Amino acid sequence: MKSETGFDPALYARFPTPGERPEGELEELERIWCAPRGWQLLTAVNNNYIGFFYVAAAFLFFLLAGILALVMRVQLALPLQGVLPQDTYNQFFTMHGTVMMFLFAVPMVEAIGVLLLPQMLAARDLPFPRLSAYAFWAYFVGGLCFFTSLFFGLAPDGGWFMYPPYTSITYSPGINADFWLLGIGFIEISAIAGAIEIVVGVLRTRAPGMTLDKMPIYAWAMLVFGVMIIIAFPSVILGTLLLELERAFNWPFFDPTRGGDALLWQHLFWFFGHPEVYIIFLPASGLVSMMVATMTRTPLVGHYLIVLAFLATGFISFGVWAHHMFTTGMPNLSIGFFSAASMAVSVPAGIQVFSWIATFAVGKPRYNVPTLFLLGGIVTFVIGGLTGVMVAMVPFDWQAHDSYFIVAHLHHVLIGGMVFPMFAAFYYWTPMTSSRALSEQLGKWAFWLMFTGMQVTFWPMHLVGLMGMPRRVYTYLPGREWEVINMISTVGAFTLAAGVLAFLIDVARNFRFTTDSDAGNVYGGGTLEWLPTGLYSTRSIPVVKSREPLWDDPKLAEDVEAGRYFLPGSATGLRETIITSPLRAEPQYLQIMPGPSAWPFLGAVFTAGFFILLTVQAYIPSFACGILAVICVLRWLWDTDRLVKEPDVDVGAGIRLPTYVTGPDSHGWWAMMILLIVVGMIFVMGVFSFFYLYGVQPRFWVAPADLWSLAMVLPAYGAASGLAWLARYMLAREATELWTPGVLFLCGAIALATGIGADLWSWIASGLRPDASGQGATVYALLGLEAMLAAIGLLMAGYISARNSRGMIVRPHNNSLDLCVLWVIYTAGQGALTAVLTRAVGG
Amino acid sequence: MHTVRALLPLLLTAGCKPPPDEAQHMPQADPVRGKQAIVRAGCGACHVVPGLRWPQGQSGPSLEGFADQGLIAGRLPNRPDLLVAYVRNAPATLPGTTMPAMPLTDGEARDVAAYLYASGKR
Amino acid sequence: MTSGSIFAVFDPAGPYAGSITTLAWVLIAMFVAVLAVVIAALWIALRGSGRLKARLGGTRAIWIGGIGFPVVVLTALLVYGLTLTRHLTAPMPQDAMRVRITGEMWWWRVAYLDPSGRPFMLDANELHIPAGRPVLLELESNDVIHSFWVPRLSGKLDMVPGRRNTLPIQADGPGVFAGQCAEYCGGPHALMGFVVIAHEPAAFDRMMAARRAPRPVPDERGRQLFRSTGCAACHRIAGTEANGMAGPDLTHVGSRRSLGAGILPNNRGTLAGWIGDSQAIKPGNRMPPYKTLSAADLQALAAYLEARK
Repeated sequence: MKSETGFDPALYARFPTPGERPEGELEELERIWCAPRGWQLLTAVNNNYIGFFYVAAAFLFFLLAGILALVMRVQLALPLQGVLPQDTYNQFFTMHGTVMMFLFAVPMVEAIGVLLLPQMLAARDLPFPRLSAYAFWAYFVGGLCFFTSLFFGLAPDGGWFMYPPYTSITYSPGINADFWLLGIGFIEISAIAGAIEIVVGVLRTRAPGMTLDKMPIYAWAMLVFGVMIIIAFPSVILGTLLLELERAFNWPFFDPTRGGDALLWQHLFWFFGHPEVYIIFLPASGLVSMMVATMTRTPLVGHYLIVLAFLATGFISFGVWAHHMFTTGMPNLSIGFFSAASMAVSVPAGIQVFSWIATFAVGKPRYNVPTLFLLGGIVTFVIGGLTGVMVAMVPFDWQAHDSYFIVAHLHHVLIGGMVFPMFAAFYYWTPMTSSRALSEQLGKWAFWLMFTGMQVTFWPMHLVGLMGMPRRVYTYLPGREWEVINMISTVGAFTLAAGVLAFLIDVARNFRFTTDSDAGNVYGGGTLEWLPTGLYSTRSIPVVKSREPLWDDPKLAEDVEAGRYFLPGSATGLRETIITSPLRAEPQYLQIMPGPSAWPFLGAVFTAGFFILLTVQAYIPSFACGILAVICVLRWLWDTDRLVKEPDVDVGAGIRLPTYVTGPDSHGWWAMMILLIVVGMIFVMGVFSFFYLYGVQPRFWVAPADLWSLAMVLPAYGAASGLAWLARYMLAREATELWTPGVLFLCGAIALATGIGADLWSWIASGLRPDASGQGATVYALLGLEAMLAAIGLLMAGYISARNSRGMIVRPHNNSLDLCVLWVIYTAGQGALTAVLTRAVGG
Repeated sequence: MHTVRALLPLLLTAGCKPPPDEAQHMPQADPVRGKQAIVRAGCGACHVVPGLRWPQGQSGPSLEGFADQGLIAGRLPNRPDLLVAYVRNAPATLPGTTMPAMPLTDGEARDVAAYLYASGKR
Repeated sequence: MTSGSIFAVFDPAGPYAGSITTLAWVLIAMFVAVLAVVIAALWIALRGSGRLKARLGGTRAIWIGGIGFPVVVLTALLVYGLTLTRHLTAPMPQDAMRVRITGEMWWWRVAYLDPSGRPFMLDANELHIPAGRPVLLELESNDVIHSFWVPRLSGKLDMVPGRRNTLPIQADGPGVFAGQCAEYCGGPHALMGFVVIAHEPAAFDRMMAARRAPRPVPDERGRQLFRSTGCAACHRIAGTEANGMAGPDLTHVGSRRSLGAGILPNNRGTLAGWIGDSQAIKPGNRMPPYKTLSAADLQALAAYLEARK
């Protein structure tokens, strides 16, 4: 057998270990992982708790947004109803879309990932538990505040797509639009935090032996999901930043009279917005693939094809965004490309559907509630997919676009592709986290009501759309025969709601949260999440030899529970998990994990406070919250990067692993690299905006700042990266004073600030103002982005100096320093690119 | 007979209230057609008309409970013949009124009046 | 407010909409056929005989059903769709009638253009076209994004500030065709209707000639009021001193089929009601209420406007 890391796979043969485990080992494990109680639960970081809170919160938002939909359906049941006045209706439909997409769908799939992935990979927890906790609390607190804006009439009313110029300060002078921009702004941050966690989790915390080939299909889905978030979300982050800058400071990114362009927003928004659909669908498809295999008691047919389909979907979905813009008057060449890509993306979906059908054909399907939801989901999704092919045909889209036909299409896709699989997953995985399974009887009621309601609601909408009814109308005039159709849809919507109610009753009667005495593997699943678990996940971490280990090794559960595999107890007396290599999952080192802490929670509350208070223009409290949030985050980081006294420990069967690893093998390095990709994507989208506006409105362009100023800017950036690198280099030298790296790093950060300062100064000297034109706005936006990164670099310098002075920057290499060095080198590179590219055109 | 059938639901909802005032009886007029005429002419542009959800104009007085009002436009006695004349050509019936002449036939005007009387009953 | 078929997309009234309707029927047939195949496959997988199930249970079924079949269908559709796209966006003859329609919050500015592209006649919320002849619409916006959609005549096209999109339409015979703004533009977006009226070519020419002929407007009470109460600051009436451009052109307001952008019947009464308090009718629209006008003034204004045929 080949080896990826030098680890000898023959060592796997030592497991399961013979003999009894020592007395007290399990008790110690329980003590170490024991969860805080009562109010202290707010400090919990373990994925069993955070994952469950996360799922529950996302479901709450599903219910809230669903209630908004019901009220809207009442308003539209008859023409010229007065249930919702025009402005309230506009807020309702905006909130329905926004909450469903940003506060329900994405957080829900992420939440299920947080709950399931560690169990499925047999990791003790995700690699950054405090980050999970932070992401959850920021989302929950911020999401609630955001939703509350509806009760004050302050909710955004520009649609979930927020097209300028309608959302510009001229046409939306209230703070409603700011609620969207800032509210969604930090929910994006939360989503990205989750994605980093999930990508690193899937690649680095799999059980030993679980090569990519043996990884459950769901983990594949979540991997592609995470990567897609990392590439797609920066686009909308940049978009919201630019729009907020335009609203707050009059920088004309989207104002055509000053060299901006309204369509720039649509490009940025849909570059995120379309992949978003697959970001929601892929994890659900992963869940479906897992459940179909269990329900038919047979391995998934076409496993590799599905993996390929996931990858293809992820790839193609970034080439289809402009199909939301077919009616904006695009050139025929672009139309051809985007139309072809939009059709191509349905091929991977076809692969998935036929794989599931083939699996059903091979196995012996059981007709229980999860299966019903799976079948209902597949049929509904296929309907949505086919109407999707219809609207990918450009001339047809010219009729269907922005009509109720699209409302029908997207709800079929999302409900069939994500909501029904989610309910299937609720029924299927409840026994893993509840002491009782949900009821088959109530579940059947829930399914049939939801399925019927769904079809009754949305089928008629295809028709009324083609009869000329546009979307986003708060009412319609009588006399076009839209009344009856709308009434049918309303009846359907309430039927669907009745199904959800049946589910809620089921949950109230049967769901009892537990972490260690769950109902167990009632459906006979073959993957590791069905091993007996406690808060510490599995007692010992098994060696994985196949894709469905529980089916292939009936003794596995017993051996794992008896501690006959890796890490049967705590090796260091702390929370820990095994970090494995990305391809072949060979054990590399033991990660020491942080335990419960109030700092992520407080940091999240203050982060949410910063954004919300900024929205309501309470600047001083807002900035106070911002500073407190930074302090909380730094405080939580303070005790994460630490050494234990044992440099290496026995993780079972005499296999020894190091407890502290730096450089490209460490999980922190991976997370920082991914974060830099996120930042890089924001930068790329900023550069795109810059050249796009130049392409559209070149007559507004003036001569850029002098080229000779580069002679100042570029060396400063060069010095910054050199000094940062030198700091790392010097730390490894025994001969240097220990404070040298800290000082060098500080100098690097100052050089960074000098670089951006010089660049900024040369632009100000050139006379170009940010509010003058699209050129000014994009140039200063890019400079501002760079300045922000440089400011974080300075903050890091302070942090490193503080740690250095406490003797926490240890030789020869130290993760905290490494990661900050990466940041500074990246920032210097981006700064140099900014300086060169902004001077490339104009004049 | 037709009128009676059309009025039947209204009579039923009126419950045990006394029968409609003989003075407001409109032979050969149909409140159902009257409502259609109201929509077609756009009376709601100025008036809140009972049973009409939109528009609910504010330029003219609300026409809710019209049957119980003593006067038309505050000056004319509320009699069917005057109401029919007024809804068709208000300035001719009551010089100085704000309401303009409306494009209604005599039959339509009778239907409109019938609707106003019928729907005004509580 | 408008007559005509309720089935919009399924009942096209001209060649541009017609070819899309044909496409729509082809797509619906595709939809039904593929859905039937998938449901049949699902049915076989769940309830079929052992032999059929065996054929379906394997990667070969995925290659055929999930890859081969979609690729063939999609390629055929794509060729069809893109050919049709090219056909529908083909350049129009130089001498085609051109009209500029500008989206406004929440009404439509209409300007009939002469061959050199200059407006020679202004109107609002209504478009008159000759039947049987193609008409090229230049779509623009003065504020936010709107979308022009008259389903029986063509697909929709957005009106984007700072850009000009062109859309050909044609009606085969005389008729009245309803449309509505299709891009959410805030406030009363739902009440932003539009009407296209197609006439026999001869009748159309007569109508345009009559409209273009100079028609003296007597300096009556209504005209004076139009000036003195401030109407003229926003509205234009050709042949008078009223030349405001912020609101709809009222030169031919009396001849329109509807008021308030396709939402109200148009007569002296509704005109008066609209002037008195349009906010109660179409909340959020840009015209302030004129509640203080005396009865006689309101009468005179409404009569004056009703006469602007």
